Amino acid sequence: MDRAIGLATQRAERGKVVLELLSLPPILKGLIVLAIAGLTFPITGVYLFRLNLLPLRFMLMHGAILGGAVALAFQINPFWTTIAINLLLVLFMAKTSRSMKADAGQISTFFMVISISLAFIFIYKFNVPAKDTLTLLWGNLFTLSWPEVIGIGFFALVLTGFQYFFRQQLRALFFDREIAFTSGIDESRLYYSVIFLTAITVALAMKLIGALLLDAILLLPPIIASFQAKSLKQMILGSALWGGAFATGGFLLSIAIDIPASSSIAALASLAFIIIYLTQKK
Amino acid sequence: MEHSLIVRSSDQIIFTSDQHWLYPLFELEDYLEQKNLTTQDLILTDKIAGKAAACLIVRLGIKQCHIELLSERAIPVFKLHGISFTYDHLVDHIQCRTEDLISDKMSIDDAWLFLRKRAGRVQGLSVKIDKLSVRIEDKLVINQLDLEMGRGEQLVIHGANGVGKTTFLRAILGLIPVSEGVIKVGDYLVGSNLWKQFRSVIGYVHQETIKNNFPISAGEVVQIGLGTTSVSKSENEYRIEVAMRRTGSFHLVNQPYLTLSGGEKQRVSLARCLCQNARVFLMDEPTSFLDPQGREDLLLLLHELSRNEAPTMILVSHEQNWTGQLDWPRKELKGGKLC
Repeated sequence: MDRAIGLATQRAERGKVVLELLSLPPILKGLIVLAIAGLTFPITGVYLFRLNLLPLRFMLMHGAILGGAVALAFQINPFWTTIAINLLLVLFMAKTSRSMKADAGQISTFFMVISISLAFIFIYKFNVPAKDTLTLLWGNLFTLSWPEVIGIGFFALVLTGFQYFFRQQLRALFFDREIAFTSGIDESRLYYSVIFLTAITVALAMKLIGALLLDAILLLPPIIASFQAKSLKQMILGSALWGGAFATGGFLLSIAIDIPASSSIAALASLAFIIIYLTQKK
Repeated sequence: MEHSLIVRSSDQIIFTSDQHWLYPLFELEDYLEQKNLTTQDLILTDKIAGKAAACLIVRLGIKQCHIELLSERAIPVFKLHGISFTYDHLVDHIQCRTEDLISDKMSIDDAWLFLRKRAGRVQGLSVKIDKLSVRIEDKLVINQLDLEMGRGEQLVIHGANGVGKTTFLRAILGLIPVSEGVIKVGDYLVGSNLWKQFRSVIGYVHQETIKNNFPISAGEVVQIGLGTTSVSKSENEYRIEVAMRRTGSFHLVNQPYLTLSGGEKQRVSLARCLCQNARVFLMDEPTSFLDPQGREDLLLLLHELSRNEAPTMILVSHEQNWTGQLDWPRKELKGGKLC
């Protein structure tokens, strides 16, 4: 009896602590941003899957590390720097693959390797502290400023709007690029728009939950959604719902049991994935 | 005679036309279809009629006519189909090349289709290819190829595997750059800025190789044909339904595309081209993965399309037995040229 009362008291106190923590601006900002990101970023995960852009994702992750390293080396805002570097990388990649008529996957691999090598050169030459470098790998959710929060919110709106207004063209693009082209769709522009949006998403997700765990909100939600989805609409909505649930659930869990938010989100997403996967298999 | 064509019903003029050549008869065809009129009791008066006009009059179902200047070549057509006719003047033949082109072997339907094409009353666009060369990785796959097709014409291109049939189609579609030469579809020069806006005039049915598991319904695949067209939801649904009914695939509208058989997928692909309002259909090995029934169905569908919408159609295939049943003109792609 005493043990049960003890547990209940403990739970109530933990709840009180969570509420108290949420009243702190950095924590509240973190929750808001993760909810927004969780609901919208998996849209680009769907794009990555459908267009088989997984090598591109690696390039963007390494680009974000380069951006972080440059920002730390020159002590400038890492948030905007990583976005800028990723956009530049995408621009270079698009231009190179077009002019050389080379496979985008191979070009992505080249830029991935060059990015990480440049990142380590910056880290070494500018004596960037190792601890700071590691924040690039697990994110830095609680250091977001309000302009950055607004920036993420604005981007989420752009991404959602893009998906909504171009849904028909995107469906054609995902079905077959050549058919999309012959149907009069400017599939090339659409494809590069998708890549640009993905570049920004990866840069932002790196800031929120880090390089190592960004797949938890980028890729796992679309994979889970694809188990049941019968249309692109269902896949997008399913991904958004799962992403939102993982991000907010993982965040609340992290402050409740005091573990890093990114790890908590990734653990929750992985757990959900394996349960759903095994259930599906049965 | 005041008009070039007058049609009466119970002594009342119901239709007149002042057009020349065979156009008054085609206008009448549209009028009758629009008004849903029966033609048994109509009396047609035409200024000049040759064999071609006679064929059209028969196909319209008109039973009585009066012709001011009649070609002798029209008489057997009228007699064969029991048309009651009178005339003011009879001549050996009229000065019109079309009359020479209607052969005795042609059925009324064949003649009608031929005349429709000649009158430009078909959906198809002309295709003119001049000295086309395409290189794929330093290999000259298409070499100084010339081709000219009129509106609504059909062509089967056969050739061994790897001879460049698909490359040829992809060049027409603008999917691959050409090394030399010019491709003109209707008034659109492939690759030009104008063509970029109107490239959906060419519909493409490619080899059924899509193996990805993208969740999409048959109806949504047809909807792709609408491209960037901005129409209301109801109009959207209407166009999809019309195209799918036309190819006998409407019952599949909500079915996942991946679960369809090869034949059903081809029907859906052709419906997509119709929904796209494509005026030139390019088909690349459409019989791949089709069972005998699927091949039979496709044959029938292509036959119907060539008679009704009559898009210009180019079909490439290495299966000569099947394409032989189509009764379309045939050419072989060999050494980068059509022969």
